[in-house]
Order: sequence, then C-alpha cells, then structure tokens
Amino acid sequence: MVMISILIGCLLGAIIGINVPTISYTYSSYLAIAVIAALDSVFGGIASVINKKFDIKIFISGFFGNAILAILLTILGQKLNVDIYLAAIVVFVWRMFTNLGIIRRYYVEKWTENFKKSKQQEKIKEEKT
Amino acid sequence: MEAKKQNKITLTIILGMACLVLVTVMFMQFKIVNQTDINELEVMREDELRTELASWKAKYTEADAQYQERQQKLEEYNQNEESQEQTEQLVQNELKQVDLILGKTDVEGEGIVIKLQEVSTAEAGITADNLNMIVNTLKEAGAEAISINEERIINMTDIVSVNEGTITRVNQQRILKPYTIKAIGNQNYLEGAILANGGEVDNLEKLGHQISVEKYNKVEIPKYNKEISSKYIK
Repeated sequence: MVMISILIGCLLGAIIGINVPTISYTYSSYLAIAVIAALDSVFGGIASVINKKFDIKIFISGFFGNAILAILLTILGQKLNVDIYLAAIVVFVWRMFTNLGIIRRYYVEKWTENFKKSKQQEKIKEEKT
Repeated sequence: MEAKKQNKITLTIILGMACLVLVTVMFMQFKIVNQTDINELEVMREDELRTELASWKAKYTEADAQYQERQQKLEEYNQNEESQEQTEQLVQNELKQVDLILGKTDVEGEGIVIKLQEVSTAEAGITADNLNMIVNTLKEAGAEAISINEERIINMTDIVSVNEGTITRVNQQRILKPYTIKAIGNQNYLEGAILANGGEVDNLEKLGHQISVEKYNKVEIPKYNKEISSKYIK
C-alpha cells in the first residue's frame, strides 16, 4: 500500500511537473537546491527505516524544512555574494552517499546472510539424507 | 489495531504527497533546464559573461578604431573636395574676368553713345580713319568696352576702309552708315575727350556731318561674336 501510494505520487508528480508552465531561469537554482535537499531527506528516511529509527514527523519536517532552508540559504548567499548553495550541495550529497552506503551495506549483508542460510539448509538436508 | 491502521494510512498519504512534491519539482527543473538556451545572455554564468564582455569590448575597440580612421579619411576627402571647389571657384572667376576683358561677354554700364550721321554735302565722308581716331580717343579716356554698330572692339579688331573708302569694315564685317559708337566708362571723361576742341568729333562737325553725343546710365554692348583663335602663337 505504501509502495502504491509512492508510485501514484511519482506518476502524478511527473504529469504535473511536465504540464506546469515554465518558471524563470533565475529561480531554477533554488528549485535545484530544494530537489537535492528533498532527495537527501528521502535517502535519510530509507536509511532510518533500515536502522529501525524511522519517524514520520522527523522525515516530513526534514523533507520540507531542509528544502526551504536550502532555498533560503541560497538566497542569502546571492545577497551576500557568497556561493552558499555550493556548501549546501556538498553537505547534501555527502549525506546522500553516507545514507546510500548504509542502505547498500544493509542489503549486501542481508543477501550474504540469506546465501549462507540457504547453503546451511542445503547441508542439513544433505546430512539428513 | 485501529490506531495502527490509521497510522499506516496517514503514513501512506504523507509519503505519497512527499513523492508528488519531489517529483513535481524535479520535472519542473528538468523542463526548465531543457528549455533554456545556455548561450542566452540572461542564463550565462558570471565568468562566461565576463569572457563574453571582454571579447565584445575588444571588438568594440577595434570597430571604434576603424570608425575613427574612416572618419578621418572622410574628413580629409571633404577638405580636399572643399579646396577643389575653391580652386574651381577661383578658376571660374578668373575665366569670367578674362572673358570680360577679351570681350566675350555682353556687358552694360554707364557710358556714352555717339551717333555719326554722314551728310552727303560735306566736304569729305566719314572714313575708317575717323572711326579709328574716335575709338583711340575713347580708349585714352578710359573706356572699358567699345562697339561700332554693335561690333565689339576687342584687342585684335581692325577698322579699315576697303574699295577706295566706300566700304568700312570692322572685325572684317562690313558696317553701314550711320555709325553708332557705344562706349562704357566714366561719362564725363568720355564726353569731354570726344567733344574736345580740335578733336575728331569736332573736326567731323566742322566738315558738316551731323554728330550727336549722349550720356546714358545704362549702355549695353554685345559680345564679340566670332571665335578668337590663334594659329601661330606658340
């Protein structure tokens, strides 16, 4: 059910995104940083699910809060003539890779465990026979 | 159990909404990036703009230098043209002056008109010599232009009698009596010179010819109407 809702959300989002009128290029950098922040939240969420620490409130607040904060920081950076969005991107991407690493490790371990288990089971079966 | 189910529903809805928002923004961004022309001025990054600006500046400087050069040349040409025009004007003026002196133009001005009416009962006719003398006198008195019967007197004009004095020729053109001599110059000088005691007019009057001398404020003298050619002057 969760997967279905995610799929529906993605499809609807794609349709809306394609059909929405184009906004000015000036604001596209804000959008980009917001997208990066949101993606970071998503991976963080998945990682926390794996660690069994997932909390929907933290996820949602991180999802929107980080995006808005990133946009505000970019605006501030433009006002200060400092490329703060670069720092934000570095941090977000860094965290994305960390979370991806957690996810990867989890699945690799799971898979190897499954492999071992199946082998052990086969051995037991052979011994039984 | 009920609470758990409700929790799951809210989780589903919230996750769906989050996905919706994320994908919407992502696709918007894709669209913008796709549709934007990187070479457009508004879109360029600062360093790209700087390079562009520098190149345009160089181009501008070059163009400006060229423009200045052209401008200078143009000015030079203009000056040349002006000086040529001046020269032309000068030459034109000179030509006019020369024409005036040579008698190649119609002229007018204050002067006198002398009418010589030959009387057949006079002791002697009016000859080319008499005309010559009058013309000479007029010249002496400062006449600037003279004509006899509309024949302009120029520097090479001949006034001769042919056929034993019965035909008078001026400018190799036969002229008929009565003679009308026009002269442009100071009226008083001309008149005085002509009417002087013992002068040519006086002599002719004494011979019995009818002579009238009148002053005019406007005497018109036609131009010399033949070609002035020189065959032997080198």
